[in-house]
Amino acid sequence: MSSSSPSGSGSDLTERRGIPAAKFIQDVETYLSQSGLDPNSALAFHQERLQQYKVVEMKLLAQQRDLQAKIPDIEKCLEVVATLEAKKGTGEALLADFEVSEGIYSRACIEDTDSVCLWLGANVMLEYSCEEASALLKNNLENAKASLEVLVADLQFLRDQVTVTQVTIARVYNWDVHQRRVKQVTPTAIAVADS
Amino acid sequence: MQQQGSKSGSEMEVTWDDQQNINIFSRLNNRVHDLDDDIKSAKEKCENLEDAGNELILADEEMVRFQIGEVFAHVPRDDVETKIEEMKEATCKSLEKLEQEKESIVTQMAALKKVLYAKFKDSINLEED
Repeated sequence: MSSSSPSGSGSDLTERRGIPAAKFIQDVETYLSQSGLDPNSALAFHQERLQQYKVVEMKLLAQQRDLQAKIPDIEKCLEVVATLEAKKGTGEALLADFEVSEGIYSRACIEDTDSVCLWLGANVMLEYSCEEASALLKNNLENAKASLEVLVADLQFLRDQVTVTQVTIARVYNWDVHQRRVKQVTPTAIAVADS
Repeated sequence: MQQQGSKSGSEMEVTWDDQQNINIFSRLNNRVHDLDDDIKSAKEKCENLEDAGNELILADEEMVRFQIGEVFAHVPRDDVETKIEEMKEATCKSLEKLEQEKESIVTQMAALKKVLYAKFKDSINLEED
């Protein structure tokens, strides 16, 4: 990572798809005096940020799960279309047992067929030729994979911000403890010297 | 006082490079967890396909029901045998790939651990709970 910026702005990005970047703090003392925050309110601010990041992470993870479930579904559909296409022209019918209702199966005989019906959602089903159906499904699959990739990158960015924020919280906290200790030690040292 | 300070880590300067190393470490750690899940499911799939292949050898029916999508298609046994063999090969290959990736990540993490522990000593904890 060559992008170490002396200003301490943290990253070249200030946000990614609406997720604000966490600022890396070079020096805790300068940061506190510059922002005019006392350690406690700085801690509170970063804790709140962390919570917000966590909420976004939950949302992204849910989206990721949806997509990860969608991809095998599309692959299954493609497989069925491929099977029908392979049967085409052989003159054989495809015998298949299918579920009518939960636990109840019936047998279907699918004669030579040129088309399948795809459920497009929103109560719409459309008949496609096998080639068209397979092209459409492949396109859907590509789209789903592409959005999954973007989503994974988003999650990675988000987690980096979480890590930066956690480190910042630990550093501000440690700095505060250190300051308190210095303040405590000085008076007792004087008291010891007095007696 | 000096000593106390360095012990609590407050005297420790954290640079942007350190922060980036920590970020990379955390990223790799997350990836390892994802990989563990993927490896587990790939292994399971491989075993299931192995079992299916063995069952098929014992079966004496000429036509077997093979699940495609949501339905069970009637497919000649020989075709299913080749199909399962293909699926098994593909799964084993991806399993190998996943394990290789995990190995390389584990080495990267070990290297990062060395760097970070050398700098922060016991002020940093990079172990799993």
